[in-house]
Amino acid sequence: MFERRLYYHIDWALLFAVLALCALGVAMIYSTSADPTRVTSRLYITQLYAIALGLVALLVMITIDYRGFTDKSHLIYIGLLALLLYVMFFGMVQMGARRWIPLKVFNLQPSEFAKIGLALVLAKFFGENRGAPAWTDLAVGGVLTLIPFALIAKEPDLGTAVTLLPVFLAVAYLAGMRMRILGMLFLCCLLAAPVAWRFALKDYQKARISTFLDPSQDAKGAGYQQIQARITVGSGGLQGKGFMKGTQGQLRFLPVAHNDFIFSVLAEEQGFAGVLVALGLYLFVILRTLEAARLAKDRLGAYLVLGVLASFTFQVVYNITMSAGLAPVKGLTLPLMSYGGSSMIATLAGFGLVLNVRMRRFTN
Amino acid sequence: MPGVEDRRRVTNRLSILQYVVTVIFSMLAISFWVLQVVQHAKFEEMAENNHQRTLALRAPRGIVLDRHGKVLIENRQSFSISILREHSKDLNRTIRVLAGVLGYEEAGVRDIVNRHRREPTYRPIPIVVDASIAQVASVRVRRLELPDVVIEEVPTRRYPEKLAAHAFGYVGEVSDKDVSEDESLKSGDIVGQAGIEKVYNGQLMGVDGARRVVVNSVGREIRTLEEQEPVEGKRLQLTLDYDLQKAVEDGFRVAGFNGASVVLDPQNGEVLAFASLPEYDPNAFAAGIDRASFAALLNDELRPLQDRAIQGRYQPGSTFKMAVALAGLEEGIITPDFRAHCAGRATFYGHTFACWKKEGHGTIDLRRGIEQSCDVYFYTVANLVGVDKINKWATNLGLGVKSGIDLPNEQQGLVPSTKWKLERMHEKWYAGETISVGIGQGAVSLTPVSMAVYMATLANGGTRVTPHLLRAVDEGKGWVPAPVPPPQKTVDIDPAKLQAIRDGLWGVVNGGGTGGRARIVGMDISGKTGTAQVISNTGRMAAAKSNKDLRDHGWFVFFAPRDKPEIAGVVFLEHGIHGPNAASVAHHILDTFFAKKEGRPLPAPPADFHLDYKDPYARKPAPAAQN
Repeated sequence: MFERRLYYHIDWALLFAVLALCALGVAMIYSTSADPTRVTSRLYITQLYAIALGLVALLVMITIDYRGFTDKSHLIYIGLLALLLYVMFFGMVQMGARRWIPLKVFNLQPSEFAKIGLALVLAKFFGENRGAPAWTDLAVGGVLTLIPFALIAKEPDLGTAVTLLPVFLAVAYLAGMRMRILGMLFLCCLLAAPVAWRFALKDYQKARISTFLDPSQDAKGAGYQQIQARITVGSGGLQGKGFMKGTQGQLRFLPVAHNDFIFSVLAEEQGFAGVLVALGLYLFVILRTLEAARLAKDRLGAYLVLGVLASFTFQVVYNITMSAGLAPVKGLTLPLMSYGGSSMIATLAGFGLVLNVRMRRFTN
Repeated sequence: MPGVEDRRRVTNRLSILQYVVTVIFSMLAISFWVLQVVQHAKFEEMAENNHQRTLALRAPRGIVLDRHGKVLIENRQSFSISILREHSKDLNRTIRVLAGVLGYEEAGVRDIVNRHRREPTYRPIPIVVDASIAQVASVRVRRLELPDVVIEEVPTRRYPEKLAAHAFGYVGEVSDKDVSEDESLKSGDIVGQAGIEKVYNGQLMGVDGARRVVVNSVGREIRTLEEQEPVEGKRLQLTLDYDLQKAVEDGFRVAGFNGASVVLDPQNGEVLAFASLPEYDPNAFAAGIDRASFAALLNDELRPLQDRAIQGRYQPGSTFKMAVALAGLEEGIITPDFRAHCAGRATFYGHTFACWKKEGHGTIDLRRGIEQSCDVYFYTVANLVGVDKINKWATNLGLGVKSGIDLPNEQQGLVPSTKWKLERMHEKWYAGETISVGIGQGAVSLTPVSMAVYMATLANGGTRVTPHLLRAVDEGKGWVPAPVPPPQKTVDIDPAKLQAIRDGLWGVVNGGGTGGRARIVGMDISGKTGTAQVISNTGRMAAAKSNKDLRDHGWFVFFAPRDKPEIAGVVFLEHGIHGPNAASVAHHILDTFFAKKEGRPLPAPPADFHLDYKDPYARKPAPAAQN
């Protein structure tokens, strides 16, 4: 099954860049939480375990031909929906949200895997059609997206739910959705915004958005985080304050520094230089993945790669923008760097699919 | 071929995505460049403000001791709760929350903040001084919500006993005016506002220190970056004797009168005891007095804030007679053997002047005249000497001039003269007016401290010593004696003539005179009583319905022992009715002084002086509503 010559087609550069980002993340987690007096001091070890598990997942994703996955994508999709439903009723509640399934070693967050499941099922769905997708295709794809979206948003975890939308948009876009339709969708969103503001958004969500527009309004809550994020990043300067020497992260002016704001800590301790390195690595990973989509043997592969990439890119861009205090604070992690087992395993598994598509570009 | 078309479209659209992603990442890089490089300085400062705090370390004021090393004024630790606007994110919210936590009116807290609005924001605005433990605790638990509220440990003045309040004075927050005049002072400093706290403020005030610390996001101190220790103020030793001071105040308490007393060492002017009653409690000022309490003190009819010893001016009555006698002797107008006849009254310039003793003293000389305090004798002498010569010698003895004591706001007494009347009233002096001056009535009005100097000058033979309270200063390397202020004046007095007066003063106490209550066998106390009208007898009848206390004042001035005086002073009983009552208080003071000197156990304050509280001029209260 795993032919020897496939080994030579693995994109080692992409894998190396991904692992470099993981290492950077571990270093930053160590820096923010390695205070021996605190219970969180072993977070970086947990993260290392997660990376190891993620690499196993990546390996599994590489070994089987991606077409094998897409063929079974409807089963995978249904299985994930079942998990999400399970979470909804029996999941573990933490910080006011029911997102996790407690396993012995770590807590599984099915919503992280939903992204891959959705990418698989959409790639399969759009890959079977030829030519630009019709209205009905788009509608079916939309429904396939909205079911897990609704389940995740209900947890509530609107942040993760929103990352599903780029998957659908990207795959549909690549499948040839007319730009006119894309424009109309965009227009609809714009028109729906005031309605959503009035009816759909919860008060705390409205508060977050209005706080973003004027952080001093709520200088202690979400606005505080935003201001502190900007101070953290800005005070880093060109060179940074040095590893474990950042005052903002170390003295806890910045909340959840090892998680949502890990990029701010990097910016503080490693300065603009470190930021450029990390941004460069992410850009390299994204462009290299786009390359994999372009090289894919078939449309199925291209759609799958882009589906995986879409939520990744969306999350990276949003989190980094937020880390600089330039976007409303939302509990979205930075893939590959932030602390979090499910996210790490799912992301690495996703890159397994990307490598899979690329290395099988010559097979039949 | 749809397949080829598909492939081309995929390639095109992927290229578009490539560009979009590259542009987005470039924009991110630019954003970080702006934040981290262009605006770096601003954010670095903000980060520093976030985690560094400068805490003022208040220097304690110098400790004040009595002449034997007993602590009179010390410091205690208290807490003050302040708002540090430098760290305020939302000042209005802080004011609202803090007021709620402390249980204060929000408007009141806002007023305090507004009063300090123009000061630099790094200076804490004290909201509560001397906060209770409960207040401190309730602010501490809400530290997270109130990052701009600081709790400082502040040394606060403590006066262990309610004693000598007018000598000590009190401390309070420095006024804006003083801050603008003195560069070494800053807003919020605690400075002396009265008494020696004010006069020696420069020595007593220490130098505040500071501590720069790193704090974490909940305000907990992580480590100290640098610390400048506060320098405690200099220790002062006063000339006061704690035991004597206590004896003086006990004496007044037992007697049940207000008034003033100053006790000096006649040889150098050291103030051994200094009292003005009623007195305030300096502790009430130490942690900042509230408006209501201060207003109550200000409006109190008994005027506890007035330092009667240096600011009160009273007719001296018969205690003035020695000045008249000395004027007569030194000007060569009389000799000690000069005799006058007292028939209980005498007529001068068509007016009849009464002696206090209706049946008269008969024919007496100077010594007997002083001893018996015969009014007619001194009417006669005053008439012969004239007001200007009386003025000259009274002034020589320290009367009607400032004593120069090291306390603020001393007032000057008055001994009339023809010049004074011409300048002040634009009127000629009538010879008849001199008669009442002879017995210390009329326009004569003097401060108790000047009476003490007067007795010290008579005791030491003519050196008008300057009363002073500072004995030594500890500059940090042990006690350095404070320079003794030079005498205000040295008067050439013929010892033989002075001796006649001193003989008379001895007789007052030991020879069956009016001051017998002050007698201590073997101590040769010399003194003189005085009873001074507050209002004329006729005036008093007219004012009978008034609630005002119009009883006579009682004086006793003294020095002892007669031949080598070690103590001189004055006891002034406000509305004390009779001079001899004051002699009883003086007895307790002198008894304590000599007991301490000889190492005997100090006398306990008597339960009762058996004073003469009968007011000879008292009228029955006016009958209530007769309609």
